[in-house]
Amino acid sequence: MTFSSSYLFSLTTFIYMGAAALYLIQWIFRVRKVGLLATVVTVGGLVIQTIGIGLRWIESYQLGYGHAPLSNLYESLVFFSWVTIVVYLIIEWQVKQRVIGAFATPFASLSMAYASFSPNVEDKIQPLIPALKSNWLIAHVVTCFLGYASFAVACGLGIMYLFKNRFSGASEGIIGVIPDCKVLDELIHQTIVFGFLWLTFGIITGAVWANDAWGTYWSWDPKETWSLITWFVYATALHARFVRGWAGRRIAYISIIGFVSVMFTYFGVNFLLSGLHSYGAQ
Amino acid sequence: MKASSSTYQDTSIWRFFSSVRLAVFLLIILAITSIVGTVIPQGESLQFYLETYGPSFFRIIKVLHLNDTYHSWWYLILLGLFSTNLVVCTLRRLPFTLKLSRRDNLSVDSGRLLKMPFKKDWEIKEELDNDSTQSIISAFKKVAGKFQKRSDVDGGRLFLAERGKWSYWGVYGLHGSILIIFFGALVGLFLGFKGSVMLPEGETIDHIVNRQTGENIPLGFSVRCNRFNISFYDNGAPKEYRSDLTVLNDDKEVFHKSIVVNDPMEYSGVTFYQASYRAIPEVTVQVAKSGTPERSMTISAFQKALWPEEQLSFGLMQYMPDVHGRSAAQIWVGDKEGRAGSFWLLKGNKKEFQRGEDLYRISLSNAKQRYLTGLQVKKDPGVWIVWLGCTVLIVGFAVVFWVPHRRMWLWIGRRKGKTAVILSGQTNKNKLQFEKDIRKIEEALNSSLGARQ
Repeated sequence: MTFSSSYLFSLTTFIYMGAAALYLIQWIFRVRKVGLLATVVTVGGLVIQTIGIGLRWIESYQLGYGHAPLSNLYESLVFFSWVTIVVYLIIEWQVKQRVIGAFATPFASLSMAYASFSPNVEDKIQPLIPALKSNWLIAHVVTCFLGYASFAVACGLGIMYLFKNRFSGASEGIIGVIPDCKVLDELIHQTIVFGFLWLTFGIITGAVWANDAWGTYWSWDPKETWSLITWFVYATALHARFVRGWAGRRIAYISIIGFVSVMFTYFGVNFLLSGLHSYGAQ
Repeated sequence: MKASSSTYQDTSIWRFFSSVRLAVFLLIILAITSIVGTVIPQGESLQFYLETYGPSFFRIIKVLHLNDTYHSWWYLILLGLFSTNLVVCTLRRLPFTLKLSRRDNLSVDSGRLLKMPFKKDWEIKEELDNDSTQSIISAFKKVAGKFQKRSDVDGGRLFLAERGKWSYWGVYGLHGSILIIFFGALVGLFLGFKGSVMLPEGETIDHIVNRQTGENIPLGFSVRCNRFNISFYDNGAPKEYRSDLTVLNDDKEVFHKSIVVNDPMEYSGVTFYQASYRAIPEVTVQVAKSGTPERSMTISAFQKALWPEEQLSFGLMQYMPDVHGRSAAQIWVGDKEGRAGSFWLLKGNKKEFQRGEDLYRISLSNAKQRYLTGLQVKKDPGVWIVWLGCTVLIVGFAVVFWVPHRRMWLWIGRRKGKTAVILSGQTNKNKLQFEKDIRKIEEALNSSLGARQ
């Protein structure tokens, strides 16, 4: 049992927590070498996690169920952290700024820690219930989580923006190394645009699937409604750029509010409200 | 959406409805008010709300239709304002876009070119020969792509490579797609229906029940459920619900499909979805009038079984699968005079009962589950309009954010007795890639012109 997917996922949890710590250290103490190490560790964790996801897929076939590892809360948490790391690494590679890692990787490690350590999260591979047996499962979950992960990174960037904006006088120290507000504003915008496209895709694939499964593409189920609320929030962010006085700080706030809405769509609906999406809570 | 125009109807109400401020305001209001319907359970009976929330809050629920938030008058007003905002924005922007897309980007002078965000110019003493000119032009074409040209611009020749001019129309697709989706939803609402039916195995229906009104909706054809089947995984979780359906038109079998969740049957615009099931007990009894041979009779729950020759009817009131290891059924018997009575039958035991003059003997011979399949039935002629809207939404979004309008100019002419070459360009998106591309041309021109400067 040593070389099983759950073993690799436990390993990933610790690696991501280590990576988040390294990114924080390199931000606060500004040691370049630690930054490089943080990236290496993160990439290593991603490789192990990717193997883990592939392995879990194979294991589900060995159990005779045979489905993509995207079918319950545990698997979605693992996937969420995987996409967050991928989106973050793309940004790090594009922007060549490791400070962002200190604000983005914690989301991935928290997600893995929650999946691994919470007694409420069932980590066994379960067979697919009839409602989930559809080719739309992969398309729907992948698109939604690409959106969620981008919004997690945008939230991290929003927090950075508010930090930087608050102590805008500091050109040195831990605030000094945070990129300029203008750069951050543009990055937040780009990340939200990317996430918004995937969220839109996610809502549409969900609608197409619902039309196949339940006979209606929109039934105002709490999960659907919350995804729409999230969509409204980020649509606000995209339009607010054109309103005088809204760019910058207010959009940074919206990126944080939007992520709260994402989190509620993801967890809150499952635990606090009842509806058609209840299988996400197990 | 930009805030200055005098060419269009410039009334304040027009300006109000076309402002981005209103769009942002409406999006925020929609986001906040949409929460209500996820917190308060929707579509319950009024009694439920009165009991759960008390009389004062119940009044608010009733006035604001919070039991059906997303179809309430105020939510529809918000969506109406949102649509109006979209339409007015579109109309207001249209003249600008038309102007932009009709603008002739070749009618610029060399002075304007030097004011572009990206520009570079070279001056050389001698005149350019034909070969060098051609090599400059082909270096420009290699990166910039197809170009138009105009001679006699400030005494030189102007080349323009323009790409993505049409991308200004993307935003109309993006905003229009929302209206297309709304329209598709309305078509479904007015020309379609949503209903359901519980259909026992072996039986046929020619109508279904409207989910909202409870009225019968005739289908125009009949559907028979041949068989319902449920299978389980080893751990007891349900694996598959399957209904075997046959469509009949004038008693002729015309279509057949075995449906499962996620794989519905569609016939003449009506779709049947596997939604639920119910199992009801069904018993077989052996019954005989004294002195005559036994006959077998099947009695299902919720249904009368008839013995026409004797004018008796039978019903199943209760069924217990295990009474001291044997199954038992409570049978109800009624006759033509309206006399009725019930008794328990234990499997393996015979029972006698009297109706009028006659004595009957009855025994329980078999018991099993009979299935009813729960079908969701829908007709929605607007669904294709909704999918069209979704496609336009995605395409429009991609165009708005990722298709740039790029212009690259090359001017070759004479200036103050020298040969001058100007390279300039402008883009509205993805400046990084644009800069990379134009630098490539710049390098090529540097190597052919730079040496002679």
